[in-house]
Amino acid sequence: MIRLERVSKVYHPSVPGLRDINLNIGAGEFVSIVGASGAGKTTLAKLLIAEERPTRGKIEIGGWDITGIRSSDIPFLRRQIGVVFQDFKLLPKKTVLENVAFALEVAGIPGRRIRDVVPQVLKIVNLHDKAERFPRQLSGGEQQRVVIARALVHRPKILLADEPTGNLDAINAGEIIDLLLKINAFGTTVVLVTHNREIVNALRRRVITLDEGKIIADHALGKYLIPA
Amino acid sequence: MSLFINLWRIIVTAWKHFVRNLWLALTTVFVLVLALLSVNVLLGVNALLTGAVRQLEDKIDVSVYFAAATPQAVLEQAKFAMVALPQVKSAELVSAEQALAQFKQANQNDPKVLDALAELEQNPLGGVLILKARKPADYPFLLEALKNPQFDFAIESKNFDDHAFAINRVREIGASVSVFGAGLIGVFALFSILIVFNTVRVAIYTQREEIGIMRLVGASNAFVRLPFVLEGIFLALFALLISAGGVALALAYLEPNLRGLFDGSEPGLIAYFQGNIFGLAVAQGGTLALLVALSSWAAVGKYLKK
Repeated sequence: MIRLERVSKVYHPSVPGLRDINLNIGAGEFVSIVGASGAGKTTLAKLLIAEERPTRGKIEIGGWDITGIRSSDIPFLRRQIGVVFQDFKLLPKKTVLENVAFALEVAGIPGRRIRDVVPQVLKIVNLHDKAERFPRQLSGGEQQRVVIARALVHRPKILLADEPTGNLDAINAGEIIDLLLKINAFGTTVVLVTHNREIVNALRRRVITLDEGKIIADHALGKYLIPA
Repeated sequence: MSLFINLWRIIVTAWKHFVRNLWLALTTVFVLVLALLSVNVLLGVNALLTGAVRQLEDKIDVSVYFAAATPQAVLEQAKFAMVALPQVKSAELVSAEQALAQFKQANQNDPKVLDALAELEQNPLGGVLILKARKPADYPFLLEALKNPQFDFAIESKNFDDHAFAINRVREIGASVSVFGAGLIGVFALFSILIVFNTVRVAIYTQREEIGIMRLVGASNAFVRLPFVLEGIFLALFALLISAGGVALALAYLEPNLRGLFDGSEPGLIAYFQGNIFGLAVAQGGTLALLVALSSWAAVGKYLKK
């Protein structure tokens, strides 16, 4: 599903973001990418949604080589990957319903289908009774659930969650992780980028550890490693 | 179908954005209105000046005094010959009797003049031909045309209005002011363009994060850009309506109050704006809408690259 071949990203010669990354993530996997701040986790996430281009190497998403993706093709890529951000990135002037529907509108999905699908997805994240609220009227946990609903609504094959629990308390963080597991159970590949040790250790799924831009560990039933 | 759906969504998004960002929209509209009003004020001043010069030009005439006892046929001949010229706007013939009656009327409170007149056995005044040219520049031609041998012998004097010199000066000043006014309108238009461009840029700068989010969830560049462009056009049309209302109110107040400066006649402001309403609306609304649309397009583009 996701394939990186000798990928490097260099922002500055003395500070490489990623170095020589080789990575394969299969369909339906739940993978945690962990590491300390500056390890290269977010750079990797940005490469997967073409927010950044690799300096060297090759990236494939679902068999599509996105290494040199054209700017006009990026929206099509992003419609296939659901993305959850730490800072939510909700549109403040749109309601919960409109924020979720927007991900379908940009893809040209007919209105009738949007009116069918969006309430269902809001029900999954337990926000169907807050559909007409604006993001500022929701708690952090609720906002993050809206983001997940938006990421899910077009049934992506991959869900990329970049520090989705970073701004949440333990209870809300637990709820978000449960949601991600539920989504993964339906067959969606989930890539969780985090530095939350408790969450990673509790998951008991594949863990890829990054340090200084390199993969230092990749374990099928891994734990959060602290680099020496 | 998909194109239609997208177009409809872009229109709805633009309208919702306009309503939900009302304060930002109103601030932008306010600046756009100021830009339009400044251009309209200069257009109005130019129209007033043109009206003033035209009114002064209307006062110019040539009075041709014929000798007393000139036969009516010669007077008619002179009028006929002059009216035939394309440069002549009007020709009024005052007969000797009418001239005498007007003279008496003008001096009715001066018994000495009336007594002196009564002493004379016959009418001392001849007929008068009053000529108005279409353009002030035509008067020298008319004066030359009066040297016609068919009636030149009967002309006692010609009075090219005493104001001619002053009017020529006003014309020169008017021409200079018109050039200056056009230049000033150009400068104001340029300032307005810069102000509008920067206002739109600032308005879009405040929404840069939203633009980034739209891109992150898979919106194409056009889907992000077009609502902003369309919203800009809404703002421009809204500003046009408000400034048109402002101009109409100003005209309703100014026109009657400026009559005193124009000897009680129309200053011509309303006539100018009414006569050019379609052209002005299209030129100002079109230019503003185009400007705002282009500014929005360029300003959003800056954040689409990120």
